[in-house]
Amino acid sequence: MASLVVSGARHLLRRADFAKVLRRHRHKKKWAATEPKFPATRLALQNFDMTYGVQFGDLWPSIRVSLLSEQKYGALVNNFAACDHVSDELEQLHARDFVNKAHSHGELEPESGQTAAPSPASWACSPNLRCFTFTRGDVSRFPPARLGSLGVMDYYLMDAASLLPVLALGLQPGDTVLDLCAAPGGKTLALLQTDCCRNLAANDLSTSRTGRLHKVLHSYVPQDVRDKSRVRVTSWDGRKWGELEGDAYDRVLVDVPCTTDRHSLHEEENNIFQRSRKKERQMLPMLQVQLLAAGLLATKPGGYVVYSTCSLSHLQNELGSW
Amino acid sequence: MGRAEAQDRGGRKWRNEEALLPAQESQRRDRTMAALGRQVLDWHRLIPLSWASILRQTPHFGEQKRATASLLRKLTTASSGGALKGLPHVQPRKYVQELECGTSLTQCLLEKQRAPVDGGSSEREELISSLLDMGFTDVHVQELLSIQPSPHPQQLLAIVSKLILLGVNPEPVCVALKKSPQLLKLPIMHMEKRSSYLRKLGIGEGKLKRVLHCCPEIFTMHQRDIDRIVKVLREKCLFTVQQVTEILHRCPYVLREDPGELEYKFQYAYFRMGVNHSDMVRTDFLQYSITKIRQRHTFLERLGRYQTPDKKGQTQIPNPLVKDILRVSEAEFLSKTAYSTAEEFEVFKKLLAREEEEESESHMSGDKSTSEEEEEEEEDEDKDEDEDED
Repeated sequence: MASLVVSGARHLLRRADFAKVLRRHRHKKKWAATEPKFPATRLALQNFDMTYGVQFGDLWPSIRVSLLSEQKYGALVNNFAACDHVSDELEQLHARDFVNKAHSHGELEPESGQTAAPSPASWACSPNLRCFTFTRGDVSRFPPARLGSLGVMDYYLMDAASLLPVLALGLQPGDTVLDLCAAPGGKTLALLQTDCCRNLAANDLSTSRTGRLHKVLHSYVPQDVRDKSRVRVTSWDGRKWGELEGDAYDRVLVDVPCTTDRHSLHEEENNIFQRSRKKERQMLPMLQVQLLAAGLLATKPGGYVVYSTCSLSHLQNELGSW
Repeated sequence: MGRAEAQDRGGRKWRNEEALLPAQESQRRDRTMAALGRQVLDWHRLIPLSWASILRQTPHFGEQKRATASLLRKLTTASSGGALKGLPHVQPRKYVQELECGTSLTQCLLEKQRAPVDGGSSEREELISSLLDMGFTDVHVQELLSIQPSPHPQQLLAIVSKLILLGVNPEPVCVALKKSPQLLKLPIMHMEKRSSYLRKLGIGEGKLKRVLHCCPEIFTMHQRDIDRIVKVLREKCLFTVQQVTEILHRCPYVLREDPGELEYKFQYAYFRMGVNHSDMVRTDFLQYSITKIRQRHTFLERLGRYQTPDKKGQTQIPNPLVKDILRVSEAEFLSKTAYSTAEEFEVFKKLLAREEEEESESHMSGDKSTSEEEEEEEEDEDKDEDEDED
């Protein structure tokens, strides 16, 4: 009798409709007190040695040492802070606006893993962007950004290469723009800086990261600008965008989730190379293709899509974008 | 014995005829001296002339103390010259030199007369002749005498003779004393103790010459400081006694290092780089500065050209040899070992220095998590390529 009850109960439990919780999302009661013997960062490095060693050949050691050492930041000037002196201050530190320099040189070289949209004769890179970096060989750091008189920060420190997809997108005044994987918000901020956005839709699947996006927008963009550009922040699944808002946007930026190479070499926490996330990592290329497809579907005819990653991987870059 | 007689006996060996001193010899003394002289000549028969035996002779001399002392010194030099010959590392050149030294000394002992001296000039002359007897040339003597602040002649003689006894040749002694006149200020007892300690460690002759040249503080420093270094090498780093001697003679600068830093350097080599004890000694690893070691090794490691060996001592790639990393010039290191450019290395060095600075700062503040810098960065910077969804 008892066994019948027990088995019945088991049956019930099996049928119960528990929402499928990803292993990572389960509440973790106990955190490790010691470091793992074979850390994810080391796994990441091994993975890169194998793939990039082949992909880049003799260039790989140089790339490897720079990935393992401190990165170089660029200072994206916040046009909304209305501080004219910011550029001067940054110049005084011997930093230079590379966007300006590139314009004067008449060409723009795309760098980290991004495929520029085909450029017709009329294409020009997105306007109003100023980003300062220190010259080659100069290891100085930027002082932390300060709050300006309008209540927003004067510049935003980011990896300079992150600006290139935004430049390549070639925004024009009055464009409707979609940023499909917007968090934590550097590229979104850059899009707003161009002052070309009639509508800006910023989306990211993760709600916590969207929270960061909100913070960034709050610290850098005054309320009236946000209202004017009709900034909409959402946390939907980017792959569904074709169905949700097909043919709706002039410009779409698809900055896909990737192996985040530099980050994976330094941060152990939530590292995509840890063994528990192996499946997820292996599914990445497919996810990236799906997101790109959705982005393409969401673009109006004649609009531009820029696909970018923060990985050096051939697989994630070239092959993903066929 | 008269002066004339003394002169006749071996006038041809005189170096400075003016330094003739009047005699007060007794017959007994001469005999004793001759006996001693013969003992000196018999050096090749390994006659251990100890302090005791010499001291036994001295009561026979009814001379003034100074004369006795100077004689004593002479005898010591001569006898120890003989004793030294007993050591296994006999060089033909030294052989001849010591022979000359011994011979001329004998001659001097037998012939040269001494008077109780009050005037400085005679003392000086005595000093000069003693120096010449030890094998210094006139040039050397002049140099030694010109060292400022000029030491007491006996002090000079004492120190010089100690060094000669340790097997250092006159030329290097002269060079060392000119370079480091502070050596002449050392008390004799200290010099004594240090000499015997060095002999115990096995550092003498050529080895000592090198050490003296690079690191004269091997004589001036406190015994406890040397002990500390030796202790680190023996107990913390677990080098054998022979290895410690090798290290001290080949890399004398380790004596100047802070013991803690020396230990760190060893641990870096052993654990980070996988260099074992014998390789460390053989390649003179410990002589290089920790900065240089870290810079070059970390650079290679991050380039992917150096791997820390695993538990079994194996690596997936063949590591470059220690000499190709540390012994070569920077240009050669970059072209032959690292296959990189000077520009890249310069930037890397700057970044590494900053990393180390921040590491030590965070250690000091006792807080290993975010430093101030990092906190600011988290707020302001967009690590666009950072965390995935969590």
